Amino acid sequence: MKLTTKQLTLCAVLTALALALSYVENFLPLSLAVPLPGVKLGLANIVTVFALYALGIGQAFLILIARCTLGALFAGNLNALLFSLLGGLSAMAIMALLSRSKCLSVYGVSIGGAAAHNCGQVAAAVLTLGNTAPLYYLPLLLGVSLFTGALTGFAAGLLFRALEHTSLMKA
Amino acid sequence: MPMKRSPEVRPKPADALVALAVLLLAAALALSAWGGGRSGGLTAVISVNGQVTETVNLSRLSGPEVRELNANGYTLHVRLSPDGAEVIDSTCPNQVCVHTGHISRAGQSIVCLPARISVTLSGGAEDGVDAVLG
Amino acid sequence: MRRFFAAALCAVLACGLAACSQGGEQSADFYAMDTTMNVTAYGKGAKNAVGEAQTEVDRLESLLSRTRTDSVISQLNAGTANRAVGMEVWDLLSAAEKYSIATNGAFDITIAPVVSAWGFTTDHYQVPDQSELDELLANVGSVHIHLGEESIVTLDDGTQIDLGGIAKGYASDCVEAILAKDGVESAKVALGGNIYVRGSKPDGTAWRVGVQDPENSDGFVGILSLTDAFAVTSGGYQRYFEQNGKRYHHIIDPATGYPAESGLTSVTVVAPGNEEETISDPGHGTMCDAFSTALFVMGEKKAVEFWRSGGYDFQMVLVTQDGRVLVTDGLKDKFEQEDGSGYAYETISRSPS
Repeated sequence: MKLTTKQLTLCAVLTALALALSYVENFLPLSLAVPLPGVKLGLANIVTVFALYALGIGQAFLILIARCTLGALFAGNLNALLFSLLGGLSAMAIMALLSRSKCLSVYGVSIGGAAAHNCGQVAAAVLTLGNTAPLYYLPLLLGVSLFTGALTGFAAGLLFRALEHTSLMKA
Repeated sequence: MPMKRSPEVRPKPADALVALAVLLLAAALALSAWGGGRSGGLTAVISVNGQVTETVNLSRLSGPEVRELNANGYTLHVRLSPDGAEVIDSTCPNQVCVHTGHISRAGQSIVCLPARISVTLSGGAEDGVDAVLG
Repeated sequence: MRRFFAAALCAVLACGLAACSQGGEQSADFYAMDTTMNVTAYGKGAKNAVGEAQTEVDRLESLLSRTRTDSVISQLNAGTANRAVGMEVWDLLSAAEKYSIATNGAFDITIAPVVSAWGFTTDHYQVPDQSELDELLANVGSVHIHLGEESIVTLDDGTQIDLGGIAKGYASDCVEAILAKDGVESAKVALGGNIYVRGSKPDGTAWRVGVQDPENSDGFVGILSLTDAFAVTSGGYQRYFEQNGKRYHHIIDPATGYPAESGLTSVTVVAPGNEEETISDPGHGTMCDAFSTALFVMGEKKAVEFWRSGGYDFQMVLVTQDGRVLVTDGLKDKFEQEDGSGYAYETISRSPS
């Protein structure tokens, strides 16, 4: 996969954006409204879904790996790497699949991504704890993902519409 | 670099299918993980001398059950029910286990030190805690 | 395509790295210091740390227990001759003296004979005569412990010490040191009612620690969200006996010799994890243990004054007999009130309003 300088720069900017979104998320604690462990808005998925459509799966993948690794390093918490990688990779895999379908809008893709993200994080929790207790939260988390997925889909939609006619998206 | 593809930014009918699929998955998980019980898989772990002797899924009990536990020369009667556990009586000298009362939250436990018997609740409920002070 | 696979391989390796650093959950449950104990640690170093922690607690029990005849404390209690107790015990006694003075005697390790007179040591309960209490109270007070050079300690005639109110707290400090040494970043330690949490939970969220409602065994007054913190609760609602319709609990007020009637049903003291250990300043675990008992004896007014004086870095949750839960403002964001508990919640701020 060869990247032009422009593409590389765009990847870097998107990685930074995803990191910033993950950080900002902490100031909008969804856990106040929904008392579940690991519940969050998942704003970084906006970047993932954007990259999937705009840049293709290869570059979206790179951005995801970079974002998760750097995020864990900055937080000083390597334990969190497993959670964010499994969540992010699951989300991307599902969204890559769903995005191929011509019947779905960015909303459907994002909801699928949010649901998959939660599944990935619960899987990470099960692996860490060595028991199946985290599975109890998954049904509720999945319910919440309908809303967070719709939200990130909406935000991503705004992004696409805004950039539609810019030079960014032209050769 | 042209955008590889452009998604539909307006919601489409098929999106509802995705939402439905997620809901069905959630329901299926809820049924299997929560065991259909009211408190969602509340479990009592009974230990003697630090070793787990029995694990009882309280949400699967049809009604209260009384267990007699004997250890280290003392006898306790523990009532287990779908909403928790309590020690009804004990032959131990300090009766702290009886004074502890009824517990119903994951993380809570009743301990009889002379008998070295403990009943700890774990599992299911989303209001569980990792440890209990006091 | 090749680059894609290379990237995929990196991702798998990264997952592997992350998974290795998990190491899973290691946990031990055991009985020591007259209570149940649990040490749970995550990640690399967890296995070693848990085993070492248990060994360390056993070592401390042999050293400090009043009921083991061969412990240093028992030997000190048995004879009044000058005794070299070793730097560790000397430091702990020095800390106990410091806390006793700071709390005007509300915390007092010499209260042991009085606690025994009530039968709490042997579980054969009785209400002692006032004359017996007066006699025993004459030997109570930190003035009766003499800390000399080279770890020599002398007790006045008739004075006996019991480190029960501080030993578990000290043990939690020692366990914290072991966890730090073994590089454990996430752990939960419960030594009886002395809790220590290290870092956050493996999933990155804070540890949720419930504060028991003294009036309702099923419920909590609230839930604390803690990372890197010690927390200890004292209350008289589980260990007590009843005679002639009156309830006598085990937290004795050193001033009266009777169970403390301070208007509080429970006191929870919270302090941050230890940053550095200095000889003259014992760990926060020890401090929380001592203060939770002292503040219970002192009552609401004196406890709030003590906290406001700012001499020690801690936060607290007080539950009063008249149905209020008081939380110091340092805990405001970390304390989740329990809906439907029936308590009125108040925040205590640094300056009186």
